[in-house]
Amino acid sequence: MEVIINKEDSVTTVRLIGRLDTPASQDVAQSFEPLMSDAGGTTVLDCSEMSYISSSGLRIFLSMRKAAASQGGKVIVKSISDDIRQVFMMTGFLNLFEIQ
Amino acid sequence: MEMTDNLKILARKSAGTGLLLIIVAAVTLEATSLIQYFSSQRMLKEEASLRAESELRSTRNQIMDVVDQAEAAVHNSIWITRWCLDYPDSLAVVARRIVEENPSVMGSTIALVPDYNKKLPLFAPYVCRTADGSVELKSLATEEYDYPSQEWFTEPLKYGYGYWSEPYIDEGGGEVLMTTYSVPVTDDAGHVAAVLTADVSLDWLTELIGSLRVYPDAFSVLISREGKIMVSPVEELNMQRSIKEYGMGTKDTSNFNSLADGMLSGKSGNVSLKQSRRERMFVFYAPVEKTGWSMAIAIPDSEIYGEIRRMSLLVTILMLIGLGMLILILRSAARNQQKVVSLKEKKDRMENELLIGHNIQMSMIPKDFPERKDIDMAASIVPAKEVGGDLYDFYIRDGKLFFCIGDVSGKGVPASLVMAVTRSLFRSVSAHEQSPQRIVTLMNESITDMNENEMFVTFFCGVLDMASGHLSYCNAGHNPPLVYIDKLQFLPAQPNLPLGIMPGMTFVEQETDLSSNDALYLYTDGLTEAENLAHEQFGETRMMDVLRTHRNAQDDLEAMQKAVADFVGDADPSDDLTMLFIHYLNDMQPDETERHLILHNDIQQIPQLAEFIETIADEINLDQGLAMSLNLALEEAVTNVILYAYPKGSDGRVDVEAIISKDKLKFIISDSGKEFDPTAAPEADVTLGVEDRPIGGLGIYLVRKIMDSVSYERTDGKNVLSMIKKL
Repeated sequence: MEVIINKEDSVTTVRLIGRLDTPASQDVAQSFEPLMSDAGGTTVLDCSEMSYISSSGLRIFLSMRKAAASQGGKVIVKSISDDIRQVFMMTGFLNLFEIQ
Repeated sequence: MEMTDNLKILARKSAGTGLLLIIVAAVTLEATSLIQYFSSQRMLKEEASLRAESELRSTRNQIMDVVDQAEAAVHNSIWITRWCLDYPDSLAVVARRIVEENPSVMGSTIALVPDYNKKLPLFAPYVCRTADGSVELKSLATEEYDYPSQEWFTEPLKYGYGYWSEPYIDEGGGEVLMTTYSVPVTDDAGHVAAVLTADVSLDWLTELIGSLRVYPDAFSVLISREGKIMVSPVEELNMQRSIKEYGMGTKDTSNFNSLADGMLSGKSGNVSLKQSRRERMFVFYAPVEKTGWSMAIAIPDSEIYGEIRRMSLLVTILMLIGLGMLILILRSAARNQQKVVSLKEKKDRMENELLIGHNIQMSMIPKDFPERKDIDMAASIVPAKEVGGDLYDFYIRDGKLFFCIGDVSGKGVPASLVMAVTRSLFRSVSAHEQSPQRIVTLMNESITDMNENEMFVTFFCGVLDMASGHLSYCNAGHNPPLVYIDKLQFLPAQPNLPLGIMPGMTFVEQETDLSSNDALYLYTDGLTEAENLAHEQFGETRMMDVLRTHRNAQDDLEAMQKAVADFVGDADPSDDLTMLFIHYLNDMQPDETERHLILHNDIQQIPQLAEFIETIADEINLDQGLAMSLNLALEEAVTNVILYAYPKGSDGRVDVEAIISKDKLKFIISDSGKEFDPTAAPEADVTLGVEDRPIGGLGIYLVRKIMDSVSYERTDGKNVLSMIKKL
């Protein structure tokens, strides 16, 4: 799993490339730590290249969402595949995120 | 009464004609076989004599080669002997040269005529080979030997030319069979001065004569000029007895004597000798020139005529069987005519025979239905008369159910015979064929071939693959069966032509797939055309109404039987009625396969699950979304085990087993960690907002969402989580 973070003004774009499974989540969580402590702006989670997500990945998404909420920022989930949309639907995440 | 008498006379007359016929046939057959027997015998005798003569000729040539060699060795030395007569000491050198230069010559002597040399009244230097191959010089001029009186010395002097002695056993030289060629030698003045000899070993003759095998049991004999037996298969006779002496002891003395005379007089010819009461043998003989010997080949008659004798025995036996059958046929023909006598008796017997026919026919139809989980069958056959023309049959081979139903045109005995033939044909043809179309085509060929009575058979044949439910079938003019596939309907079936109508007919094979609980209803027109007293027919509508309630095969059958019986009432059955119902259950869960994956309690091993699922998905063609969901459920379940069942730092393993069957996937995840029941966790509330939403608890929630059933068990110190996904 590769995470590419790009910050332009107040918009931080995070490209998630590959499978966000349990072992990958441990690394990805570390990459997200600085983002969570500075979540006042807009964070775009670009999922166009993410092929899989497990509950540990969802936890990161939710943690990010909670951090943004507490800091007055917002999280946009962009370009999720139909299969992952299915998972978001099952878990009620579709209601928690702004999906683009 | 008068009629009966007439019939009897007719029968007797016909029996008389039959007897004459038998006699004429027997005489004709016998004459033919005799003519053939004798002409074959003559040919075989000619062939035997040709073979024997050619063998005699070639053996004689081989003997003559050696004889000529020895004669040449002697003749070539005459001039030098003559030249040496005045120097007796050098005669030994001449003899030595003859021996050394001629391998077949074992010894040589130059014996002076007594008193030819005044100083040496008897002089005979003798050179011979010894056992070790060296050459030795001896003198034959000894008092005890007295060479001037020996045959080899006297005979050539008497006749004045070369002479082959009677064969003899050489006592001194290793008991070998020998003969000596001797010639008189004259001096320059023309006086007979000496006898020059060469001893020739005849050991090779034994082998040569013994190896003659014109026929396996034939044998050869060589006799000397005087009639002494030189070589024969009976070793005790060789060089001991003369042929005449031997002849005294044989059964057929007179013929043997003429053989002996012929051989001794140097002629060639053949003689037939009686050996025993039954056996004769043929003896062919021919002279061996120069030596005065005669050679004979004896061949037992059984050897020459054996084949034709066996053949003629066979012909005789066949002829007798044929005649026996002719007699039987004529007798039964005569008896059949006598049978007309009692009509009553005949009727009783007919009824009895029909009953037997009925029993035989019913015994040909399988009535035991296999108790299986994949098919459920029931059938019945009710002939309108004692015997009928309906049939059904089925059997299981290689996981396939071969079945058929058929209806022979017409009723009663003729139809029943064709029915029996059709049923046997089905069994024999389908034994080697998988395709109903092939089975039907081959059966049609056979039935049209022998169909002189213009009978035909409507026939439906199917092959059901019990594992897959695939049904291939071929119809030959039979009523299309009903099927229950989703709903009750007629199986689409090409009518084609019934069996027995047209040779070379092409039948169309069709196919369909049965799923679990589908059914197939085969019947003959005796069902739809069953009539009540008002001559109304049972019909397709009533038939289908009965089957609309879908039960098991036996219940369906009984419901149909009852419906028909109620409808027909007291009317006589008009046609044979046959039904064969097949329910396809497929409750076997066949093709269950298992896949295994063993992981350590290490989160880093989780990606292996993705490969595991991918393999299974490829195998059973799962779509990508479902594969991803299954991957997710597995990952969540395994992650739970790794995180909660095994304490941090402990070493353990997680077994993942996938059981793949047609309609579901079952995963069993087991571990030996501490008791941990993921299903005991409270259901996550996915409707909560961001603030209230707990971070965890989604894992088991996803498992439950994705799978159709999830259950936990603690057995044998193991956590066992079973998850089933229907396909």
